[in-house]
Amino acid sequence: MTDGLNGHDGDEAGAAPGSLTRAEQGDTERDLGVVRMRRLVEAPIEVSFTLAPGDRALVAPGESVVPGAPIIERVRDTRMSDVVVPPSSEPVPGGRIPDGELLFDWRDRWRVAFGEVTEPLDSPIAGIVKDVRPGIGIVVRATGRGLRAIVTLGGPTRGQLHVASWVEGELRSGSVDVGLAGKILVVGSRIDAETLTRARAMGVRGIIVAGLASKERRDFLASENRQRAALHRLPPFAVLVLEGAVRRPLAGPVMDILEALEGHDVALVADPPMLVFEEPELEVPTPQPDRVRIRAGQLMGREGTWAGLIGQRRFAGGVHLEAGTVRFDDGTLVAVPIGDLERFA
Amino acid sequence: MTTQPHAFLTIDHGSATVSVALIGRAGGAWRLIGSLAIPAGADLDPAIDLLVERTLAVDPVVAEGLGIVGLPRKDFPILEVRSLRPKRLAIVTGSERTLAGLVETGARSGWRTSGASAETTDPLAMTRLLLDRDVGGIVVGAGDPPRADERGGIRELATLVAAVATRRPEIPIVLSGAMSEALDVFGDVSARPGEVVLGPAARRTTGVDPDAPDPLADLLLELALPADDPRRALATGARTLADVLDRRVEAIMLGHDAAARAVAVPGQGGEASTVRLGVVPSAAVAPDEPDDAVVDGVMAWSTMPADRHRIRDRMRELRIAPWSDAAGDGAALRMAAARAALTRLAGATSHFDDGPVPDLVVAASGVWTSVPAPAVALAHIDVLRRPGASQYALDHARLLGPLGAIPDAGERRALLMDLVDDLLAPLGSVVTPAGLRAGRSVGTVAVHARDGISELELMPGGLELVDLPPGSTAVAEFKFRERVRLGGRGRHFAIDVAGGLGGLMVDLRDVPLRLPDRADRRRDLLAAWQSSLWAGSEG
Repeated sequence: MTDGLNGHDGDEAGAAPGSLTRAEQGDTERDLGVVRMRRLVEAPIEVSFTLAPGDRALVAPGESVVPGAPIIERVRDTRMSDVVVPPSSEPVPGGRIPDGELLFDWRDRWRVAFGEVTEPLDSPIAGIVKDVRPGIGIVVRATGRGLRAIVTLGGPTRGQLHVASWVEGELRSGSVDVGLAGKILVVGSRIDAETLTRARAMGVRGIIVAGLASKERRDFLASENRQRAALHRLPPFAVLVLEGAVRRPLAGPVMDILEALEGHDVALVADPPMLVFEEPELEVPTPQPDRVRIRAGQLMGREGTWAGLIGQRRFAGGVHLEAGTVRFDDGTLVAVPIGDLERFA
Repeated sequence: MTTQPHAFLTIDHGSATVSVALIGRAGGAWRLIGSLAIPAGADLDPAIDLLVERTLAVDPVVAEGLGIVGLPRKDFPILEVRSLRPKRLAIVTGSERTLAGLVETGARSGWRTSGASAETTDPLAMTRLLLDRDVGGIVVGAGDPPRADERGGIRELATLVAAVATRRPEIPIVLSGAMSEALDVFGDVSARPGEVVLGPAARRTTGVDPDAPDPLADLLLELALPADDPRRALATGARTLADVLDRRVEAIMLGHDAAARAVAVPGQGGEASTVRLGVVPSAAVAPDEPDDAVVDGVMAWSTMPADRHRIRDRMRELRIAPWSDAAGDGAALRMAAARAALTRLAGATSHFDDGPVPDLVVAASGVWTSVPAPAVALAHIDVLRRPGASQYALDHARLLGPLGAIPDAGERRALLMDLVDDLLAPLGSVVTPAGLRAGRSVGTVAVHARDGISELELMPGGLELVDLPPGSTAVAEFKFRERVRLGGRGRHFAIDVAGGLGGLMVDLRDVPLRLPDRADRRRDLLAAWQSSLWAGSEG
């Protein structure tokens, strides 16, 4: 994939350990700053929940919420009607009357959003309600900490985290049974739509996966939409995608955190896409500052120790890129574009 | 160490990469000393240290003279621009026809757009659209004068938007065209944190002078992008460049979140120079959601065999981590994605092509950072098929944005005059005749350069390359067997050409470009053209 450290095209893993001089390696600690940093755990975090016109917020700013407490009454099949509202009630857009949510005043009648069937949305997290804006959303400042992801499909949800070793590192449809009901499963590098659908049917609350291919994502979302079109209320279920769309193992430091959370209750939220945990006493493993991971390319997913910046190098495809060196645990040294690397904090 | 450095830094914070350049005063003029691009999200301090260190290593005397040796980072003067993710503009109108015009204007004015008209959308859905948390601005519009089907609904629509305005007091609202008649519905607009602005109706798309001003687009650009956004600064940068060079300049910036295109014409006969700017979020290199249209566009330009699902996955990855995977297949994907983005940009700003071809086309984008320079010109001429002759250059250190953001016109011009040769890496000259007949030879070209004359048969359908190094000039004398379009129509043309990293490119391919329908043949043809300018691109 890359030119070898000795200046010829070749397999990086074959480069001799220690083939760089100290001068070439430069001031490695300082140079490490040019590698993009991925912050693993964030706090404090603000989680948003969308309110559509007609939905009713069940909380007010300043109130505290606990996991499982209903915070929104969602209206299904929202409709609109015209009603006369006495001016004495001081109606305003977004205000509520027994008929529904006020939209706007037109020719002495108010347009109102309402629906006959409602379903509650329970808070998946503990926190303090920071903002409530009818028709727009609710913002809760979570008391816990969060692990950032790329996207959450479905949700929000809450359950007990379960990390297990699956066959070939991946969860297959046949491995999901009712014994996993109520759990949030860490499934590894990728998952298919069939397994996601079966997991939901078996009562699994959520899936955490490194990559979800576009095809699986599309099929899962189509299945979700069909389910939601049904009249009965669905149990909460979410898929948290940590990395992207291609097959890639979970990063070691991320896996360390997930393993530390094994057996604890965690929440998966969509905005921002995140795993939230409320374990103030839990010691989150701190990644080594010079630990780097190769995010893309043929060595995607491999991790090692930063060995310094080496300037521009020619890589496959005839491109010239700023590169750094990474020493794998077996002592092998490879040159990698700095854009393909990430470090953790 | 001096206390007064004769140097400053320009920093272009892109969504994918950050470009840092060191500009210093040497030999009585401002010069580009060095530049470096790092992934967005990495620390800037080590990058600045590295630039200074490299300067010191290459020429300690120059570094000493610039006063940067041992200078604390905080003491460097910095000229900074920052690309922000485009906001969403919700557009509501009384009719579909008015909506189409406003959406088209908004989509090339720095906004991601979503719209609805009273013809097809009920007030509840419209309220839901306007209250979406993603919305950062609202346009409510009617024709001017209002169309018959709009007139009756103007006040109701204004009342609906005014109600939303009370719930979203922070977002700006534009009343376009005849909708301004309903300003009173919004009450005391001065008490509102977000502006309520009266704007003109959308410009008609046909029967309008292409150089006529477009005040609604200008207003929306101003609301969308701050002055220190490099995509907005591209307009002032291109305009100043046109003035400095006294040439018609087109600058194209393909970004992670949006693409921008500025066409600047220098002032003549006492008239001021002019510039037109389009900022098109839907022409981002890696759009938020790679839908079928985006994937098809990328596949049409792809030189690597991959199915739709794989291309979609790769485009998602490019969206998530645009700084990574720039080698191997990743480079091929970027080139295809960049060409597809350029196609979308050209489509959204097609009215910019109504005038004569630009004398100089400047490619200004982080997406070209890792690509061999000659391939950049090829990517542009693959998409922008215009009969004529133009010179191509690359803003390799991404300076046009920061320099364009200098508010003082005199200062900006003075700096650009000094830096113009350093700023622009010459890619070469491109001559594209149109109206060639398929067959054997269509004529000859004789390139009269200082070191002699080189002659070439012109074979239609291909790309002829003439070695003409950067800094050299020549006269290319074309003799066609039949009349062709090359600026005007004729058989004989003598064109002044300038050299560059790609030399002189005579593009004898179809205008517009016709590619084989079969994917494998198309890939082979694109790869063959590319490999002539990009050693190693075959993989």
